[in-house]
Amino acid sequence: MDALETARVALVVGFTLLGLFFTFVSMTGVLRLPDVYSRAHTASQADTLGAGFGLAAVALTIGWEAAGVKSVLLLFFIFVTNPTAAHAIARAAFEEGTVPWTEGDERR
Amino acid sequence: MWWVADTDAGSDPTGGEAGDSGDPESDSPSAPTGGLVVPVEPTPTLRAMVAYAVEAAADNGFSTIHLVEIASWRSGDPDADDRASAAERVLERAEAWANSDLDDFDGERPSVTIATKLIGADEYLFGPDDYVQVLAAYAEEHGADTVLLDPEYTPVGNTTLLQPLEFALSNTSLSVETAPVTRPTRRERLRSEATGKRFVAMFGFSLAFYLVLGDPFYWFDWVTGIATAAIVSITLSRVSIDAEPAIPRTPMRVFRGLIYVPILLFEIVKANVEVARVILDPRLPIEPTMNRMRVIVGSGLPLMTLANSITLTPGTLTVRARDSDLYVHSLIPASRDGLFDGSLERWTRFVYYGRSSARLPTPRERDDCAILQGPDATEELPIAAADGGTSSADGGGSSAAADSAVASGDEKRADRGKREAAEVADE
Repeated sequence: MDALETARVALVVGFTLLGLFFTFVSMTGVLRLPDVYSRAHTASQADTLGAGFGLAAVALTIGWEAAGVKSVLLLFFIFVTNPTAAHAIARAAFEEGTVPWTEGDERR
Repeated sequence: MWWVADTDAGSDPTGGEAGDSGDPESDSPSAPTGGLVVPVEPTPTLRAMVAYAVEAAADNGFSTIHLVEIASWRSGDPDADDRASAAERVLERAEAWANSDLDDFDGERPSVTIATKLIGADEYLFGPDDYVQVLAAYAEEHGADTVLLDPEYTPVGNTTLLQPLEFALSNTSLSVETAPVTRPTRRERLRSEATGKRFVAMFGFSLAFYLVLGDPFYWFDWVTGIATAAIVSITLSRVSIDAEPAIPRTPMRVFRGLIYVPILLFEIVKANVEVARVILDPRLPIEPTMNRMRVIVGSGLPLMTLANSITLTPGTLTVRARDSDLYVHSLIPASRDGLFDGSLERWTRFVYYGRSSARLPTPRERDDCAILQGPDATEELPIAAADGGTSSADGGGSSAAADSAVASGDEKRADRGKREAAEVADE
């Protein structure tokens, strides 16, 4: 029982760190990447794995209770809404006629 | 109004003078004055449509009425045969009605022939443009010059296609008329039958969701849950559920969707690691390109699932879905190659159509993909055309201002900056 508890805490810590890592990567990407389209890639990354691991850690901490189930549901909704939002941003840029950055273009 | 006189009940004569070219009295079969194409669907107004088409054809001397049903499926889909035979039955029924109307015609039976045809089953049709293309090809092949539309004609989903269809048809040489038919009372019964299943599905789903959030072992949550679910399904069951739930199919799709979730998660993690490595690399070795991929999944929900899965996977981002063409932005060549390998497309087909349909060649093998930018580009980026050249007419100033706004790091801010830049340019 104690070993199980330790494993759970270790998993929670691991998931939180992973979530932090991917959120950090996503933030770095938003700052470093050259244009709307490529930034939309990483902006959605923060949601998928950053929030994903974060919510997994929450669910593990709370355990099999109503709130834990809700965090899984939250994850589901994030996975549905996040690509929709990223698509909306990219599509808006495309409709505006923004040409995607390619190698050799100036950074914008 | 370009044909029969007694139909001025508010229909708009978009057909113009086209009908006058056909001599109204020349009923002789030796001098056919063209055909009338009537797209049919099992709409509640189908009976009235057929009657109207017969009357119009007789009065205006059309030699043939082409009753065509446009397949919204693709032969090869698992239920294609069922749907094709259902469509054939609708066509047979419409033909029988048309013939009986011709027989009952006042006076002599007009010399109008009825032709029926199921068209478009060899490819997926997505938007109005696809439908019009198929219709126009058929009309040309059979020497027909007029299309008669049913106001209730909704070949995809439950959104009406009438206006987009009329618009797309106005770009062809065909003349278009909308039949002034109204819904018969029969409609009510058919609709309530149709919404019954939707209602049950919606009710069950909302109640289950409510009980997951609440406590399924507490009677009060059942009472409030049933009340809430009833309100939700009364108001939204027609809106939220696009396709009719069917008993073996819908649960199977949900089940296969559950199988798909861990696979998608694995793909996401894998792609995330690849993209994270690129982003954290000090040299930032990205090679973003826009790509086009023609996908073989049905329109509506399957296409949305695929497009959203592509976007969820880091490194690929669906920018635009134009009929069956997905415009996908890719960040690094590896993610582009993964996209062209089509594993997500196969999985989407697995979820919606079952395992046997998932076996299909990759988009690369089918030659259904193209790179639109960079040194390997094989096609032009459709942006200049879509833009209508306005951005270049506005001058470089606005886009430069927008670009500098983008560099400030946040898409929302960039969007706003862009709008401001556009306003400045307008002044």
